[in-house]
Amino acid sequence: MMNKKQIFITSAFTENSIWKQILGICSALAVTNLMENSLIMGLGVIFTITLSNFTISILRNFIPKNIRMIVQTLIIASYVIIVDIFLRAYMPEISTALGPYVGLIITNCIIMGRLEAFAGKNKPADAIVDGIGSGVGYTLVLLIISFVRELFGFGTIFGVTILGEWWTPWSIMVMPPSAFFMLAILIWIVTTPKKAKKGD
Amino acid sequence: MAKGKKYFSETKFYPILFMIALTIFFIGILATFHHLTAERINRYQEEKLKREILNLFSIEIVDVNTDFERYITEESKAGLDYYVAYRDSLLGYCFPIAGQGLWGSIEALLALTPDLEQIINIAILEQNETPGLGGRITEDWFLSQFSEKPIYEEGEIISYNLIPEGEPRRAQQVNQITGATSSSRAVVRILHENAKQILRTMGVDDE
Repeated sequence: MMNKKQIFITSAFTENSIWKQILGICSALAVTNLMENSLIMGLGVIFTITLSNFTISILRNFIPKNIRMIVQTLIIASYVIIVDIFLRAYMPEISTALGPYVGLIITNCIIMGRLEAFAGKNKPADAIVDGIGSGVGYTLVLLIISFVRELFGFGTIFGVTILGEWWTPWSIMVMPPSAFFMLAILIWIVTTPKKAKKGD
Repeated sequence: MAKGKKYFSETKFYPILFMIALTIFFIGILATFHHLTAERINRYQEEKLKREILNLFSIEIVDVNTDFERYITEESKAGLDYYVAYRDSLLGYCFPIAGQGLWGSIEALLALTPDLEQIINIAILEQNETPGLGGRITEDWFLSQFSEKPIYEEGEIISYNLIPEGEPRRAQQVNQITGATSSSRAVVRILHENAKQILRTMGVDDE
């Protein structure tokens, strides 16, 4: 049995959903041209994944096995709608910027992956830690990618100008292709030392 | 336990009842949350609409609600609701327009000059086009192409032709968005269809 700290480290880093499991790529590519959007998206996913994990864990002994995926989808969708309503009411600008991607948290495979792999078999408290860990791991990757993309693409960090007027923005960093490059480079950097150790 | 006797959780009704109970529970939570925030969301959307209308007529906004009351009046003619902008003199008219896009409906605002023959500007309020492709119909470069274009000339409503993005355009041409031909076409079509109805109702076009 792992303790809470181990659960967190495993789900956030060792078994990071993006660089290790290559899940949740769609949204990671889509929203990472601005750090603010990435952070909000990350918080949305942390919220959804933690509460979904918790709910599934509480219900794990009652959910009929043959309909468990429908149950998971219903629970995820409900929490995502709460995030969506919250953003529309309190952060309308960000809600507009994220547009359809908030709704697409429902289809983020990290969430269903954690519900299947962890929450359905573990206690509620552990499920919460795993949810936070997975969400933090995901958010971290988004922030790293968006840091580079926003800095070179707009010359700003969280909208604050860092590179002055002398800087010529790399417009490719704002456009979708750069997300692919950045994600690939990140996965390469993170996984290379491990492979070298294994002697691959 | 007697032979052949099943627990309730093993019967085929259990999954159905479980799902119904869970659905009702979550609908309850969502309904409550919606109820608590509905007023706030509506207020924001109303302000957004007012802001867009003021922007269409290039009126500088200090306070959205006061400025809207000062410069804009809402009118209606034969079932057509529209906004009239005055500042010293008549600035023009603004009509809500809507139609089918590629994935869902597109809602927009069309501002016309006082003689109703020229477009002042267009703003997109709601759209569900593909993000990054058709979603670019909200971008300034695309919409600003319509500004100052004639909509009614020599007794006819003008239908704009689409040409590839980046190519130099003439009076009745509009650069489409690369990779989003359907969405670009939809905007032009919505404009034409709505203009027809608007100009007929306003008594400009008699056909």
